[in-house]
Amino acid sequence: MAERCAVVGLGQTKYDRCLRVTMDGLVREAALKALDDAGLTFADIDAIVLGKAPDALEGVMMPELSLCDALNAVGKPIHRVHTAGSVGASTAISAVTLIESGMYNTVLTVAYEKQSDGDFMWALSGGKSGGQGAGGSFAPWIRNYIARSGAPEHIGWKVAVKDRLNALKNPLAHLHMEDINLESVKESPMLWEPLTFYEACPSSDGAAAMVMTNKAGVKRSSSKAPPAWVIAHAKRTELAVYPGRDPVKPLAGVDCAKELYKKAGITDPRKQIDCAELYVPFSWFEPMWLETHLICEEGDGWKMVDEGATEIGGDFPVCMSGGVLSSNPIGASGMVRCLEAANQVRGTAGDYQVDGAKVAMGQAYGGASNYFAMWIVSSDPDPTFN
Amino acid sequence: MSEFPISFTLEYPYERTLGPVIGPFFTALRDGRVLGINCGNRVICPPVEYDPDTGATLEPDFVEVGPAGTVENWTWIAEPTSKHPFQEPFAFAQIKLDGADTAITHAVKAAGPDAISTGMRVKIQFCDERVGAITDVYFVPEADAQEQTITPGEKEVRKTIHKISLVYKEKLYPSRARYVQGLLDGKFIGQRSPKTGKVSIPGKGYDSIGRVTLSEADDVELSATGTAVSYTVITPIQYQGQTKTEPYISAMIFLDGSDQPLIAQEVHGIPADEFRAGIRLRAKFKAAGERNIDDICNSWMFCSTGDVIERWEPTGEPDVPFEDFPEFI
Repeated sequence: MAERCAVVGLGQTKYDRCLRVTMDGLVREAALKALDDAGLTFADIDAIVLGKAPDALEGVMMPELSLCDALNAVGKPIHRVHTAGSVGASTAISAVTLIESGMYNTVLTVAYEKQSDGDFMWALSGGKSGGQGAGGSFAPWIRNYIARSGAPEHIGWKVAVKDRLNALKNPLAHLHMEDINLESVKESPMLWEPLTFYEACPSSDGAAAMVMTNKAGVKRSSSKAPPAWVIAHAKRTELAVYPGRDPVKPLAGVDCAKELYKKAGITDPRKQIDCAELYVPFSWFEPMWLETHLICEEGDGWKMVDEGATEIGGDFPVCMSGGVLSSNPIGASGMVRCLEAANQVRGTAGDYQVDGAKVAMGQAYGGASNYFAMWIVSSDPDPTFN
Repeated sequence: MSEFPISFTLEYPYERTLGPVIGPFFTALRDGRVLGINCGNRVICPPVEYDPDTGATLEPDFVEVGPAGTVENWTWIAEPTSKHPFQEPFAFAQIKLDGADTAITHAVKAAGPDAISTGMRVKIQFCDERVGAITDVYFVPEADAQEQTITPGEKEVRKTIHKISLVYKEKLYPSRARYVQGLLDGKFIGQRSPKTGKVSIPGKGYDSIGRVTLSEADDVELSATGTAVSYTVITPIQYQGQTKTEPYISAMIFLDGSDQPLIAQEVHGIPADEFRAGIRLRAKFKAAGERNIDDICNSWMFCSTGDVIERWEPTGEPDVPFEDFPEFI
């Protein structure tokens, strides 16, 4: 690796059902916010990396072409990344590699979804009846997790409440559920047993963008906030279906975390990482990923939730921004996890800032829990861990 | 052996949010006017949100252009499809409207390819039914144009609807075709890898873990009995094409002798509160003439069992205890 990559600008739209602007306007809004945060303009950008979930979600094929004007990409290299729900994180990582390789000095990366232009359930079911939705696919595995770990049923409700309370501190979050509590989650309609309506993510429109650069570029940037240094990243994929596959604790998710920690020099993730934004579209994935990504021992993920360890103020806060449970612009959701990790180590997370956060993890998964992408950012370009 | 040629029509009404530039353009079009946008010292029509040269955001500073213009280029559509604006032959042309510096691409109703030429004058005509979309108008040679009185609509146009329609045709690949033939015959056909000994259903024609090719000789018929290792009760969400309305059990079932579960198996006739992981089940196939495999395609990710199973019924055997579930569970 020739260059250390720094994140110097963050931009997000409000997450909601957006009828204000076009798809072009949405990605541009996030891009301009990120450039403004970095104290740079489109003229400073050498290349663009764009990500979104399947084209069928909005029915715009190869949107990286039609969005060129909005992203000021005419005459510049533009890359498109596609890895299902994990795409936002994969996109961010692809942008990082363009800096690390020394290929470009400053890169803009953008990810988005405009779910209100289409229908997620329709697209995922291939236009046929009987689509179960993502919840229907994941629910049996969640049931297996509960059976394996012996977790009590209130764990799922607790994650749903925690993330929605965190979202109240984030003005950009889609859901602001002031009155949410364990009882209201439990009593909300049962959608995919054991998952209730309030344990599932919303459908959101929105875009997220980051400006990345090298050490020399950090000096050129006039951002008011310090950079977040990308100290490690990893991606792993496995087949969605094969004999002997463990969909509750996928091997790809375990191996991805191992590689990530090894590259970062992390030996005890729970102690050495200050907080994490994990991709939790359904409540139970928080304890499942804590275990799969080796943040705790197998069977202990739900105990971390139960003890409050993953709340802001706990020893390992998760989804401080409100997470995917509070905003899910699918293609952008993975990038938001990476972006919010950077937000924490820059000390710019406002009301949901974790005190003194110096090392943070952003993670996303997609498909049938078979795509994983994650990174670790730090306020220090070369941190050491003991 | 049938190759099972399959055909599927995919249809959906996508929506587009129009925003601060395209919205006013379509609203004006519905109301009988064509707008261009000021961009530096040019007028661009149809209007764009960003300066195509500099990428700068354009203020919604509109000017009315047309209603007549000059053909800059054209092509003749001799055999229109059902998706074209006219069902009789017509021209697509690039038309620079009077007052604009760029051309709009649109349909021109002309008598024949000899009745249109570059440099020709054409005029916009408004359809009787207008919704605020590019299809609200068309062009004719200026001499053919009718004088029209347009009654403006009421609300601002904020979005458009685009109904897509695609027809897919493909043949099932050989191992999938044998799996489907099995279902039609009332059998579950999987494949056993000679390298790992693992049985998958449906087989893919290769063992993705052992990395060996599988052939018809590796096909195995599996028992119609198995164990549900997990399940969910799905409350159907309504979307375009969804026909299900009532909650139903969707189970993951390992057929005896298989190392890969059948997923999303619908279970009817067993109350949700009596269903449980570990229950032993037997598939009762529909009568031979009633088995339907139309929804099975070549998708590798989640292959269904079509509509061939009448119901999954309890075998009455004792439940399989959790510790005896297949290895991954």
